[in-house]
Amino acid sequence: MEGFTYVDIFATKGIEYLVIILFLLLIIPFWKFLSK
Amino acid sequence: MNGKMAKGEIESFGDFVTFIITELKPKGRGFTVFNVISAPTILLGVILIVYRLAKGLGYPVTNLSQEFPWGIWIGFDVMTGVAFAGGAYVLTFVVYILGLKKYHPIIRATVLNGFLAYVFYAGAILLDCGRWWNIANPIIGNKFGVNSVLFLVVWHFMLYTLAELVEFSPAIAEWLGLKRLRKILGSLTLGAVIFGITLSTLHQSGLGALVMMAKGKIHPLWYTEFIPVLFLISSIFAGLSMVIFEGTISHRVFSRQIDEDHHRSYNDILVGLGKICAVTMFGYFFLKVLIFIHGKHWSLLNTPMGYWYVFELIGFILIPCVLFVQGVKDRNLISIRVAAVITMLGIIINRLDYVCIAYKWYLPMSERYFPTWIEIVITLSIVFAEIWVFRWIVNRMPVLRKSPEWARQE
Repeated sequence: MEGFTYVDIFATKGIEYLVIILFLLLIIPFWKFLSK
Repeated sequence: MNGKMAKGEIESFGDFVTFIITELKPKGRGFTVFNVISAPTILLGVILIVYRLAKGLGYPVTNLSQEFPWGIWIGFDVMTGVAFAGGAYVLTFVVYILGLKKYHPIIRATVLNGFLAYVFYAGAILLDCGRWWNIANPIIGNKFGVNSVLFLVVWHFMLYTLAELVEFSPAIAEWLGLKRLRKILGSLTLGAVIFGITLSTLHQSGLGALVMMAKGKIHPLWYTEFIPVLFLISSIFAGLSMVIFEGTISHRVFSRQIDEDHHRSYNDILVGLGKICAVTMFGYFFLKVLIFIHGKHWSLLNTPMGYWYVFELIGFILIPCVLFVQGVKDRNLISIRVAAVITMLGIIINRLDYVCIAYKWYLPMSERYFPTWIEIVITLSIVFAEIWVFRWIVNRMPVLRKSPEWARQE
């Protein structure tokens, strides 16, 4: 069993939010592009 | 055959026996390339399975050990096989819940495929259990084993197999000419579908949850708390890719059974399946990127396992996604089929990563797991036996061909 390590889950929050927003912005145009 | 049988009605036990004996006769050519390869493999596999059950899991039967307790029977037969069987729950959701009847012509073949997959791959679990005679324990209660995810897996496999049997049973009733039974079984379909979809979401992710306790043994690029979610989402496009692959082969092999309407609509069906795969893989790719960023494993990318991770992500997720998109836009069925095959290879690699490639990656090659020839032959014999059963059923029951007139009128 490994020892205790502190994981800072907020260190990458900014980039994660950007990735999610990018996904949400792209998914609907992507679906519409495929459906045309 | 007597007049009653000619009309397809079974009215007595004698009729039933006559019918079954007639149906047991082989149909089609005997000495095809597939039969010549698969029949001896299955026979050898049966002998090896008996040997394995008698002698145990140790060498020379398998190369499994305390270091590598799971190999290709779990990694390929169970984890990959069940992912490929995911086409059944996805397609039944699309047809019966979303109401997209366009996919109805392929639903029976897909459900049959899924049913056989679970039956045979539950058998593969039996083979992988050291004390296989205890396989019924989670069900009969001789130490249920509720602390293990396998308790869930066992119950779900059993219940889902039953649900798929109920979904497929109208085809069996039509084959036997049992009209009243067909009506009753048809009324159970929607309930079985809903039950099956509910079960699938948990056991598909549950197979991923099996490896959650192996933190430290699975490479950090693969290990994440989101493994169950990744397994669930990947089972969607894995299953549909299998539907595309199996459908392509079935439509060639059984083309005489398929009517003109079905042949004409099949291209639309393929394009539709390709579209669903493309969108799901698009979302899955973003999820993988998100999980990678969250894990902060940037430094691991410039390592051999890092290259393998990127190769898997780009080569088996992004590239088939692009191929699916191109195939859907241009209605290029070859692109869609190639994308499906690459996706399936990617799923095989992904599942084997968790079991033996990215698992204990730090050990030298001399100490890593490689399957024995016995494991490989047994795996092949399970797959071939499933194909034989699938072929037997499709040649006799209304799976690809239309239901009899009396059933369609209901």
